[in-house]
Amino acid sequence: MTLLELEDVTASYGPVQVLDGVSLSVPENGAFGILGANGAGKTTTLRAISGAVRTGGRIVFDGKDISGMRPDQVAALGIAHVPEGRGSFGDLTVRENLRVGAYLRKDRKGIDEDIDYCLDLFPNLQDRIKSNASALSGGEQQMLAVARAIMSKPRMLLLDEASLGLAPSTAKNVYDAIRRLRLESGIAMVVVEQNANLAFTVVDDATVLETGRSVLTGTSAELKGMDEIRRAYLGG
Amino acid sequence: MASSSKTSVPTTSAPASSATSSPASSFRQSPWVRWGAPLLLLVGLAVLPLVMTESANDTLARIGVFAVAVLGLNVVMGYTGQVSLGQIFFLGLGAYVTAYGVSQEWNIVLVFVLTCAIPAVAGLLVALAAARLGGLAIAMVTIALPIVGVPLAKRLSDFTGGSQGMSARFVAAPEGSGLYDDQWQLYLVLVIGGIVFLLTYFLVRGKYGRAFAIVKGNENVASSMGISPYRYKVLAFTIASLIGGVSGFLYMVVVQYTSPETMSFGHSIELLVAMVIGGAGSIVGSILGGVFYVVVPDITNAIDPSLTALLQGALLLAVLFVLPGGLVSLPRAVMRGLRRSSAGRGSAAPPTTPSSTPGSGTAAEQTETERHGHA
Amino acid sequence: MNRHFGSRHAIGIAAVSALALTLTACGGGGDSGRSGDAAEGAPSPGITDESVTLGITTPLSGATAGPGTCTVAGVTAYFGMKNAEGGIEFGDGKTRTVEIEALDDTYDPQQAAANYDSLKGDVFAMTAGLGTPTNRAWRDAAIADGVPQALIMTGDPIFSDTDESPMQLGFVPIYQNEGEAFGELLAGSTAEHKVAILSQNDDFGEGYVEGFKSAIEGSDNIEIVQELTYEATDTTVDAQITELASSGADVIFNAMSVTPLTIAALQKAQQLNWTPNWFLPSNTSSPGAILEPGGAAAFPGVYSVSFAKAPASPAFAQDEDVVEYLAALKEYGNYPDPPAFPHCQWSWMVGATLEQAFAEMEEPTRESFMEALRGIEGFEAPLMLPDTSVTTTEDGQPAVSTVVVQKYNGKGYDTVESFE
Ligand SMILES: Nc1ncnc2c1ncn2[C@@H]1O[C@H](COP(=O)(O)OP(=O)(O)OP(=O)(O)O)[C@@H](O)[C@H]1O
Ligand SMILES: [Mg+2]
Repeated sequence: MTLLELEDVTASYGPVQVLDGVSLSVPENGAFGILGANGAGKTTTLRAISGAVRTGGRIVFDGKDISGMRPDQVAALGIAHVPEGRGSFGDLTVRENLRVGAYLRKDRKGIDEDIDYCLDLFPNLQDRIKSNASALSGGEQQMLAVARAIMSKPRMLLLDEASLGLAPSTAKNVYDAIRRLRLESGIAMVVVEQNANLAFTVVDDATVLETGRSVLTGTSAELKGMDEIRRAYLGG
Repeated sequence: MASSSKTSVPTTSAPASSATSSPASSFRQSPWVRWGAPLLLLVGLAVLPLVMTESANDTLARIGVFAVAVLGLNVVMGYTGQVSLGQIFFLGLGAYVTAYGVSQEWNIVLVFVLTCAIPAVAGLLVALAAARLGGLAIAMVTIALPIVGVPLAKRLSDFTGGSQGMSARFVAAPEGSGLYDDQWQLYLVLVIGGIVFLLTYFLVRGKYGRAFAIVKGNENVASSMGISPYRYKVLAFTIASLIGGVSGFLYMVVVQYTSPETMSFGHSIELLVAMVIGGAGSIVGSILGGVFYVVVPDITNAIDPSLTALLQGALLLAVLFVLPGGLVSLPRAVMRGLRRSSAGRGSAAPPTTPSSTPGSGTAAEQTETERHGHA
Repeated sequence: MNRHFGSRHAIGIAAVSALALTLTACGGGGDSGRSGDAAEGAPSPGITDESVTLGITTPLSGATAGPGTCTVAGVTAYFGMKNAEGGIEFGDGKTRTVEIEALDDTYDPQQAAANYDSLKGDVFAMTAGLGTPTNRAWRDAAIADGVPQALIMTGDPIFSDTDESPMQLGFVPIYQNEGEAFGELLAGSTAEHKVAILSQNDDFGEGYVEGFKSAIEGSDNIEIVQELTYEATDTTVDAQITELASSGADVIFNAMSVTPLTIAALQKAQQLNWTPNWFLPSNTSSPGAILEPGGAAAFPGVYSVSFAKAPASPAFAQDEDVVEYLAALKEYGNYPDPPAFPHCQWSWMVGATLEQAFAEMEEPTRESFMEALRGIEGFEAPLMLPDTSVTTTEDGQPAVSTVVVQKYNGKGYDTVESFE
């Protein structure tokens, strides 16, 4: 069953149209990748889903048209956005940041369990549990951002370049954790990545954006096999 | 979560580890202290007005007035991180509503309700417009409030008495109570102010308070978590205005006179200074802010009336250098000093990081960022 | 987590309790000292057989500190001089020295009320403080407590209304007095005059205009051709001046209390080649601070009103009053510089007027003092200009209600008898 569906979505910042007809479909428990060059509109697509930018076309989540909703309303439906550049509460400790993520939840016991789960998923965070978030490394902050999104117990995660600025081994750790999360929790995902190799470790299907338009959509396996994808995004 | 971890690593909670760390903290956590202190305070406050001199009662009542005003400012600024330079306007508005209502001989309960409602509505309207703008725009709009308020109050002389202001002596001690007026006024301030403090305490400790803290921390993250920054900013501003209105009512109870000068811009800055000195984002800090606002001019007056401005500035700088988290962080700073010196003697006390829920227990740190951010 | 919170709060509460208890301790306990308890005829607070203490709350810091400091300096210098001579003889036969306790209110009504509260138990009377809101803030309280609020520096008429203000008396002329004085001079002119009015849109401007109009009522040689207002917060009055310039008026009645605006108005008129006779209120007519920078010499006449000799004026350089005053200000008033505001002179006169009242006061009580204070007639206080005097017997008028009109001579002012 389809959880999220984008139909011919357009978006603009003021007079500048940035998305020019993006369509994609993510099934329940599915994971979908968005690839593309810098400035292609990947981030904007995620912002369109989470309501942070004005859009045209249709965005349907769980059978409900969510285009035009405010970000907080979208979030309340269970879509958790891990934005590019992370953004955590530097003044708060790691544990406090995780609790903030659970803001809309009321199940105290479940929250404590999920904190333990996140720390298990990202053992680096376990070691820094009492540190202020501002004292974390870039990789640790990325993990914290993902973990905080998990804490809201979402039905769908929107991940924006989780590998950005990380050493290859750290990026791999992060994606390993994301894959495990997907397997264990079944949370659906939209994964934006420059590094297609990493993305393909998680997603089933993906689309390639070029100047605001989906130019190519297929399964991971199909895309991996294509020459132009290989040349452009897989380093060979 | 569908599959919560079966392999969860046991975690020690912060309070559990700090509970055993030092005799000082176990003293703090003894139930006698926890329940005894508030009880002592309550009894103390009930008896205080009866045993103090008239002038001490007056001073305490004025502290109450401005503590409430600072508390309101704290809701929007200390807790929600929105710079407001207009808090004095709402105090002034509340004072004028009270003075006008009394002059029209309206029922005092009605006057009080209006004193809450009118500033709250005014604050709501300002916030609806200003909170959309974000960033420093809110600060700019709030600067305009006292700047527009003063000439407006002079202009609307049918309601405000113009630049000659309005007197309202409406709080005489009830016949037969055996109380002096100053005692009665102080009781009113203690009861009304106490209720406002209690309600605000629950507000900022509860769900709304956490939302305020999240909005303050990072607006984008807030909305990605289902918290509308706009809505909570408007809410915080409205509550701050309402509390400002109540402080205006109390101002009339104690000072019994208001004029355009009451809401001049300088006082708005003084309120802000009092908030920072007391401790931003802190309930107790608001009280200390009120103490600062009222007592310091009295002290500097006693030292040398011609140097009051200079002495106050010096005091402000001194507090900020020694206690960047405000006066409210004094006990913690002292504890830290003690710990450090005892650690220096070799008895290795385990470091205890003060842990707390988001945004509420980290007053000191937040104050720091706040200053860097807005100064 | 909650437990931890509780403890944090326990500390805070304990701290507040401690503070409260300290306050109690400082207060000394007991419910003594509440005002209004004094028995009939017993000496009022603040007076002994040797001395009497007066209280002042006035702005000593902030924007109004300049005039505010003067309100303390003059009266302190006056009694400092008298104390050095052995004190002042009171109506009850005792000779007392006079002490002054002054507090800063920064022109904040709330602080003024607090200052009053802290002074009222220790002082015999309050006096000389500057400001309408700051004096209004504790007017009711002073009445209720029976504390005199005598000879204060505000042009607000309420303080001169005996029914409304039984314990009060203003010292300086009310705004109406000033407008009236100029109106009378103009009405007495032999020529016809067209008057333009530019006034501040508040009780200050309204008071001047009201006084002016009442004085010219019925004189058919005066016509008001145009009347405009501005807000005290405006940053320019160019538009108003331009409009008034085209009215053809030969006199402008300019009730303005803002220094930079006054300078700008004078300059703007010159730019427009409009050079009427110009009237300015006493507090915005300083030769050095306003007229010179405004280029006032370009106008045929710039008029203002006064009741005090200007110590800076060469005409009074050798004047006995002025010499004595300047010496005392330096020695006893803690004011080494030449006085920058007329409030210094006014405050000195307040001292002299208080001495008059003390001399007539038969009992060391506040009631007796108020009675004596209200019995002064035609007293020519030191530094007063000829034809002005202190009269406290007229209800509705401040202690000084007579002012003389003066004309700018390029340096200072000369008193004029008629308008040419
Ligand atoms: N706030 C904005 N205002 C105006 N234009 C914007 C804004 N944000 C992005 N753009 C423009 O929209 C286009 C798409 O941007 P977007 O951030 O979606 O690209 P992206 O695919 O995420 O790129 P990258 O891989 O560099 O993150 C770019 O041309 C960008 O310059
Ligand atoms: Mg991007």
